[in-house]
Amino acid sequence: MAAAGLSGEDKAEAVGPHKKWAMIIDLNRCTGCQSCVIACKGRNRTAPGEFNIRILFKEEGHYPDSRVIFTPVQCNQCEDPPCVAACPAGAIFKLACGIVVTDWDKCQGLGNCVVTCPYNARFQDSRYGNKVDKCDFCLAKLEKGLEPACVEACPSRARLFGDINAPSGEFAEYLKVAQLIVRKPELNTRPRVTYVGSGHGNGGVL
Amino acid sequence: MDISATRRRILKGTAAAAGLLALGPEKAAGEKNVWADPRNFQDTAPSRLDTDVKVVHSVCLGCNARCGNRAVVRGGRLLKYSGNPYHPYNSLGHPIDYKTPVEETLGLSSPVCGKAHDAPNYVYNPYRVIKPLKRAGKRGSGKFQPVEWDQMIREIAEGGRLFAHIGEDREVPGLKDLDSDDPIDPEAPELGPKRNGFVFMTGRLQTGRKAVINRFIKEAFGSKNRIGHTDICGIGFRMGNYTLTEKKQWELKADPWEAEYILVFGANIYEALQPGVNTYGAAVARRNSLGEVKFSIVDPRAQNASAHAEDWIPIKPGQDGAFAMGMIRWMIENKKYNRDYLAAPNSKAALDLGHTCYSNATHLVIEDTSHANHRRFLRIGDLDPGAPRKRKEAYVVLSAEDGSPLAFDLLKEAILDKETRVRDAAGKEINVKTVFRAMKKGVMEHSLDEYAAFSGVPRAQIEKTASEFSSHGIRAAVCQYHGAGNYVSGTYAAYAVAVLNVLVGSIESRGGYLTSGGDVAKWKKGLYDLKDFPGKRKPKGVMISREKSAYEKSSEYRRKEAATGSGYPSKRPWFTFTRGGLSVETINGIDQQYPYRCQVLFHYFYNSVYSTPGGYRFKETLKDTDKVPLYVSIDTGVSESNIFADYIVPDVTYPEGHYGWISPHAPALRFTGFRTPCIEPLTGETADRRPFSLETFLIDLAETLGLPGFGEKAVSGRDGKLHSFHRAEDFYLKGFANIADNAGIPRASAEEAAFVEKNYPVARFKDILPDDQWRQTCYALARGGIFKKYNEVFEDQKFKYGIQRVVLYNEDLATARNSLTGEYFPGTLKYVPPKDSAGNIIEEIDKDYPFYLISHKMNVHTQSRSNSHRWAMEIFPENFVVMNEKDAEENGISDGDLVRLVSRSNRAGIEGKVKVSGLVRRACLGVSFHYGHTQLGASRLFLRDGEGVFLGGRNVVDRDGLIPDPKLGAGINPNMVSRLDENLANTPMIDVQAGIPDFSSTRVKVIKA
Repeated sequence: MAAAGLSGEDKAEAVGPHKKWAMIIDLNRCTGCQSCVIACKGRNRTAPGEFNIRILFKEEGHYPDSRVIFTPVQCNQCEDPPCVAACPAGAIFKLACGIVVTDWDKCQGLGNCVVTCPYNARFQDSRYGNKVDKCDFCLAKLEKGLEPACVEACPSRARLFGDINAPSGEFAEYLKVAQLIVRKPELNTRPRVTYVGSGHGNGGVL
Repeated sequence: MDISATRRRILKGTAAAAGLLALGPEKAAGEKNVWADPRNFQDTAPSRLDTDVKVVHSVCLGCNARCGNRAVVRGGRLLKYSGNPYHPYNSLGHPIDYKTPVEETLGLSSPVCGKAHDAPNYVYNPYRVIKPLKRAGKRGSGKFQPVEWDQMIREIAEGGRLFAHIGEDREVPGLKDLDSDDPIDPEAPELGPKRNGFVFMTGRLQTGRKAVINRFIKEAFGSKNRIGHTDICGIGFRMGNYTLTEKKQWELKADPWEAEYILVFGANIYEALQPGVNTYGAAVARRNSLGEVKFSIVDPRAQNASAHAEDWIPIKPGQDGAFAMGMIRWMIENKKYNRDYLAAPNSKAALDLGHTCYSNATHLVIEDTSHANHRRFLRIGDLDPGAPRKRKEAYVVLSAEDGSPLAFDLLKEAILDKETRVRDAAGKEINVKTVFRAMKKGVMEHSLDEYAAFSGVPRAQIEKTASEFSSHGIRAAVCQYHGAGNYVSGTYAAYAVAVLNVLVGSIESRGGYLTSGGDVAKWKKGLYDLKDFPGKRKPKGVMISREKSAYEKSSEYRRKEAATGSGYPSKRPWFTFTRGGLSVETINGIDQQYPYRCQVLFHYFYNSVYSTPGGYRFKETLKDTDKVPLYVSIDTGVSESNIFADYIVPDVTYPEGHYGWISPHAPALRFTGFRTPCIEPLTGETADRRPFSLETFLIDLAETLGLPGFGEKAVSGRDGKLHSFHRAEDFYLKGFANIADNAGIPRASAEEAAFVEKNYPVARFKDILPDDQWRQTCYALARGGIFKKYNEVFEDQKFKYGIQRVVLYNEDLATARNSLTGEYFPGTLKYVPPKDSAGNIIEEIDKDYPFYLISHKMNVHTQSRSNSHRWAMEIFPENFVVMNEKDAEENGISDGDLVRLVSRSNRAGIEGKVKVSGLVRRACLGVSFHYGHTQLGASRLFLRDGEGVFLGGRNVVDRDGLIPDPKLGAGINPNMVSRLDENLANTPMIDVQAGIPDFSSTRVKVIKA
């Protein structure tokens, strides 16, 4: 299956108001291989020991009826991101295309957003005055017409990525038929990172 | 912090951006379309579509899986890898069309695993050695001094009193002292010439460099001893396949693209394997998500693949064979095997049934101990000595119609399961059995309940798995790897596992158990002759590992036989029937100076002390200047092994070199990847500006010694000229040109040739080839190789590149003997528990050590050298002693407790941190490999003038030498407590049949620290 990049149109308006970028992670496909995590690290060179994405690991059941469950996690690019209100400096905002970003002109490294984020997706970068970093769906790659580093790096195509306003390919199929779940739905943050639960194990997300 | 305007991002193509121009920055910022993007501050890597970068398609060597890669290089620095979309290993087996122009592919996504993404940290590892080192203190003292390249070459070639300045009053042999056809042992001329005193051991090695090393050591120097490390890589499961295929193949796997059911034996499909996590596990996971394939895991450790497995079957270590034999017994008793397929006695008959590969299940085996061909197949010549010579070799089967013995190739069907007598031409009766019957007898020696007890798996689970496996027609297969048989007695375990595929008829069938489709074209011959050269030598004698040699032909045997009436036992085992690549028994042989002394030892990219179970024992060997008079290591760092070396020759990493033409692993696919560098070498260079590297070293040594095949006029071309071999590219470009020509690929377009010439370091050497050859080679270079599609390797269900015959009884194995006892090895399936060389069952003699210790690979790591993979180490800074939750409870041990693991062979033991888990079998401890280094930056080294020696320069060197980084030594290495064999000079334990090292039988006590 040759992986497509983004289409030409996507490239032209990667961050424009006509886009709504979203990611679906199919836990039936995630092998926990960490390729996305290291690819992200290699692309974004986050602070040592800090990651824009991580893979949560949990054992389910007890021996011998036990298995591993993986959940890749990152900034959910929430429709209603709690981090925005948490920032007294007004440094956090949402782009028209749905990606939540932090303005390092304004970020004062207070860290309120770090503790507020229910997904533990933010961290302070000690190399840059403790300003806060997190996943931005590799915005700069999107503008080049390339997929986010984690999406490109995923060998089993567990990460489906696309524009909800004009979905195509497998991403579109998933939007149509898959039962999509989110982390901590009770918080009503309306994440743009959604999941297909595993058919093995309890079917949920961590 | 100063935030310059250039770090502010302005959104393009939006109304707001237009507004920015109209309204000025302040207003636009108010609309939040201008902000300071963190990425503009961080050292974010460029993408391949940036204008100031170079892009190179090549082949990874993060592990041996052979995925393609696509490098992004800026300012000469490797910054990022992704996958190669032309390569099936980066595309779940289904790459883009090979003809696609390169410029159309750069926007396409293509995955590669985390090890490749971590490569910049490996390449720019500050602890890399980039200048030659010479020992400056006792072996292992960590004292070295920089040495000039030319002086090093001269000293290794000529020998002499090389270490007199540090008080070693000995004459060190140089290679020139071994350049002699005199016998290495006049009392045993069969051992070969003095040349065999030169032993060249290789770690990670692929075609390309392998060709150059073989040319040097075997073909130019004439030593038998170029010895790989197949044994620690995983000779055990390979022996099962090697036996099954009569030595033709050793690696077969379930087809992850079309199998319906895969039974995984000791193959870590989501975390390792070849093809790797990027390919095999990923394809299985994706197809599993689509409902196309199910799989079960037979492994003492649940593995990451338990996430999606139907079953995790926590088997007792070393008992894969018992489980498989139980399945086979159930399949036979319930008639759930493919009878029609097995009854087909030859290729043609099998082909009529849709199979490209037939089995010898119906062939007859001679049972009479008095018969000259006892234990061999019955052949027409045994029945009729007067038969024409060609017909004499034909196997004999029993006609399905009347039971008469006939040549196997005459019938469509033969009797499968029978024991009888046949008469030869002289009227003498011969007791015979069909192969199937012989196998069945081996299987029926134990009941299902016994197999359940041996394997530690409930009988019902064996039955369930056998039922599942046998209910998918030919779309069920096994994926066995390292865990299935890499232990003493492992041949019989892996053979039983392999036979499962034959019983359902899935061997060499689409969706079944498949070999590799191989390379697309040959490199040795064609435009250039890289195979032969004037003065080429043919190595003679016996390898120091005694692999593939019969002890019965040795002088030692004859002498013992004359003196005692029996030639047995040999001093150490000989291995008549083995796949070979016996690194462990090589060093064991060096230690025992058996069957002859090693004079000069080369290690290439090989860390024996760290990577071998029981490798700690090798420290004694390598330290001893009598056992290893000259020890040279070609490597990128100072390791646990070459800390004992006399010379360390700096080498390049794969992004700087390691040229090669890389063919696929099993299963199925067919390609030749082209590995060329993506950056220039970071090592020092010779006076004539060749990089310090393996090739430069061997070329200079060969030229100094006057060996054939190197230097001027070393390679003949179809153009009638003799070409020189003075630098690496002289050889490799000719190999690439041969492949391109033999494959008949097109010439690159002007654009694609320009792409290669702009981006690829190898283009500096394009003048080695005539323009036309260069243009053709460029077509493949631009794409990172030559690749075929999955569909191209099949004709209907039939695999086009498979083997034609498999055996359920192997007469070479059946007629080989244990050189310690003189007993024959069984030629078909038999339950053989893990035993030491004296025949003791290890579980019994080590019963006071209650836990099995098993190891495994991790998805982010690459064998012994990835403590430099900084990002992997950030994710997993250490490893653990993973203990079953119930064992932990019973022993009062909690998560995070420090424990000491003590074995019979290492009573001091090793200390590690416990992780309590439900994902490992009871009474087993799982400890990952990759951690517990004491070198590769983890310890101080003592050297003056070290600044220029290590890539990190002043950052890692002070006045005394190398400054260690304790993080690089985190965790523990399970190999450091592995079982040694007290019956064989306390050397690391190996299997007496095939020389298999043991990764599964070590037992330990757990002592709370």
